[in-house]
Amino acid sequence: MIQKFLSDKEGSAAKFFMLSSLVWLVLGMGLGLLGSLEFSYPDITKGIPQLSFTRIRPAHVNMVAFGWLSMANIGSALYIIPALCRTKLFSEKLGNFACVVWNGVIGLGALSLLNAYTEGREYAELREPFDVLVLVGLLLLSYNLFRTVLNRTVKKLYVSVWYIMGAFFWMPIVYLVGNRTFVAMDGLNDGILNWFYGHNILGMWFTVLGVGIAYYMVPKMSGKAIWSHSLSMVGFWTIAFFYAPTGTHHLLQSPVPEWLKALAVIFSAALVIPVITVLTNFYMTMKGSWWMLSTNMPLRFVMTGSLFYLFTCLQGPFQATRGVNWYIHFTQWVVGHAHAALLGTFTFFVIGSLYYGIQRLTGRKIYSVRLVKWHYWLLFIGFSIFYLALTIAGLQQSVGWALGYPVGQWSLTLPPMWFTRLIGGAMMFTSSCLFAYNIYKTMTDKTISTDAELNLAVPVEGK
Amino acid sequence: MNDNNENKKIGAKGYLMPAIVVAVSFLTIYTVVVAIPDMTMIKTQPSKYAMEYIQRDEKGQIVRDKQGLPVPNEAGLGRQVYVREGCFYCHSQFVRPQDRDFGSKVQAGDYVNETPNVLGTSRTGPDLSNEGGKLPDAWHIGHLKDPRAYTPGSIMPSFSYLNDEDLKHLVAYLQSLGRKRFEDPANRGIYEAYYPEADTAFWKASENHKPNVDSATAANAGAGIFRQNCAVCHGTNGLGNGPNALAMNKKPANFSRPFYKAYSDKTWYYKVAEGVPGTRMPRWKLKLKPEQMWYLVAYLKTLPQDNVEIIAPYQSIDDLQWESQSALDAPLAETQRRIGQQKEEGSYKPNPGGPTGSELSGGSAGGH
Repeated sequence: MIQKFLSDKEGSAAKFFMLSSLVWLVLGMGLGLLGSLEFSYPDITKGIPQLSFTRIRPAHVNMVAFGWLSMANIGSALYIIPALCRTKLFSEKLGNFACVVWNGVIGLGALSLLNAYTEGREYAELREPFDVLVLVGLLLLSYNLFRTVLNRTVKKLYVSVWYIMGAFFWMPIVYLVGNRTFVAMDGLNDGILNWFYGHNILGMWFTVLGVGIAYYMVPKMSGKAIWSHSLSMVGFWTIAFFYAPTGTHHLLQSPVPEWLKALAVIFSAALVIPVITVLTNFYMTMKGSWWMLSTNMPLRFVMTGSLFYLFTCLQGPFQATRGVNWYIHFTQWVVGHAHAALLGTFTFFVIGSLYYGIQRLTGRKIYSVRLVKWHYWLLFIGFSIFYLALTIAGLQQSVGWALGYPVGQWSLTLPPMWFTRLIGGAMMFTSSCLFAYNIYKTMTDKTISTDAELNLAVPVEGK
Repeated sequence: MNDNNENKKIGAKGYLMPAIVVAVSFLTIYTVVVAIPDMTMIKTQPSKYAMEYIQRDEKGQIVRDKQGLPVPNEAGLGRQVYVREGCFYCHSQFVRPQDRDFGSKVQAGDYVNETPNVLGTSRTGPDLSNEGGKLPDAWHIGHLKDPRAYTPGSIMPSFSYLNDEDLKHLVAYLQSLGRKRFEDPANRGIYEAYYPEADTAFWKASENHKPNVDSATAANAGAGIFRQNCAVCHGTNGLGNGPNALAMNKKPANFSRPFYKAYSDKTWYYKVAEGVPGTRMPRWKLKLKPEQMWYLVAYLKTLPQDNVEIIAPYQSIDDLQWESQSALDAPLAETQRRIGQQKEEGSYKPNPGGPTGSELSGGSAGGH
């Protein structure tokens, strides 16, 4: 048993992370679906404390953010870094151990949140023991990956390595600063700290990891070299400088110091630069290869993610400006935006990377391309419905707040939106189940193909 | 494990400088964004509206437990429940400059004891920064247990699973929110129309010509006002089955339900005067005089009954359905039967304040 969990086989850590992330994806999305069901039918779980919306919400957020997205990203990073450095991972055992720790944290952490053992701060709900374990896992992974990079046999560092190393440098610091276990402040300062953390797990972790992975996947899957290396560097350095101070834009109308708000708004607006550079690079690389999207499903996932990335990251600076923020803040619009970033963009990126990476790591062809297509369309359409419903609901709420109507009055206009959101959510949940089933069938497949047979740079065909 | 690569290793050559730049820049940003606000703002004195969530003895000294930690007071315990149950996911606690009718704007000093912060980022429900004192405790407890019985169309989860102690603490916390702001005479004007417990013009005006709301006379007077103004929606006998109920998305209240017994006189008055947001219930203070509203209160108080069957509101104007609907008025029919019996026996006495037999017999909604 221990042999199996702490295996020394090449690629086993990456695989372990990728496969565990699928479990958390299905469970986390299931919780999210239940939560959205409670918007339409608030009394459906009446009297069961563990299934009250207020407890499901943190469990859902932690499961999908730290269980699904982080672990899938880490799994991809553990695969990409050795591949780019032409070396083995420094220690597979350490990687596997980090995965065991992380799985324990997500499982027990979610249970503890459902039982109201919570720190009570958005995105930082996990309590002290879990915080320490998450940090241990992160530091082990950082150590592992940095040592791998030091062991490399190619001289130049490709941009993905920059991004991934950046993520594994920033995330432990952000996590250390953002949790009350390690740094505790009082009153309003706690709010500032909360949002420094809350926005930087997005910026210094999900974004840099996601973009790093996409930077690897786009040239790899399209079989072309990246359009411009210097442009990719501009993107990396601007994100490194511009992202960190933006968190206070969550508190623009609260009594925090004005200079801090100004800083947050200016830097939020400046984030357009990294986004434009990254996407210019992606799209110029794809020039002449767009036909591949019709058959190459992993590439289609990544490129759809990049479209959502463009959309989300133009929306973000837009809604961080004061004029828009006073109107939009506090509404479901923001919830829609948060999902567009984590679900629309980075989930699409990493799904492409999982389909690609699992085939490469195991040498097995994906079980059913038809299921991949179903996965894609259900997720894409489901998410679009979900996003539009939340955005419209947000605008309705904005009108209510702006005109000073009582909540009870405008909230009656929202049930159709809650229900539409539920439909979108159900579609996405179904797609995730198909995804997990497809990967399960792939993993239990006996036939092993060589890299040449897989031929992943050209369209993936079903068996 | 990487021995075979040892001689080819390239290491950090040439990349040390960029790595240091990344580290230094990030730490600078961290200092500017987190550490400096903390250093400057922690010296902010508590404002006069900052709440205290710890116990103090008579001399003003902080009460400490055996480990030297301050002992939370009732509102402090309630705050723990608020944080534990995740109320802050849907309720914000800061008034923005553009928010109207929310009470006075908050300042940084108001939050010195608010740890961990519950500022909130979403207002799926109302802002709670000035909630204290607006509604009576009984309302809060009932609302926490069964939100939709109190605010129709609400999507708040039911917190019926909390034990009585937690509920009591939570309500104490809710009543403490913005309490100091509203007790400050400087803010009096802002709170004019609200707060059943406040000594405001609203309640002062209501005291003019206030009748004895427990008297049968007042209740009878109220019954008349009820028939004229309320019966079209609430039904002749307040069962929530007036003809207008047909066309309503949120059905009118059925006053025979037992939980209305928990309403205080002021809660009744407040609801009548201010209406129910989110429903067609109007703000009767715009039409009725305080005296008339008190008569209504006197009548409404007599309506709640024990063990009453909940009557489904009318769904259609189909005659047959109306017939079967009135057959549902079982408690009413039972009362009528008993009154008829008593009349025959000659032992009939009108129920003080309640609907009289003649009113009842003329009031069956099925007779329309």
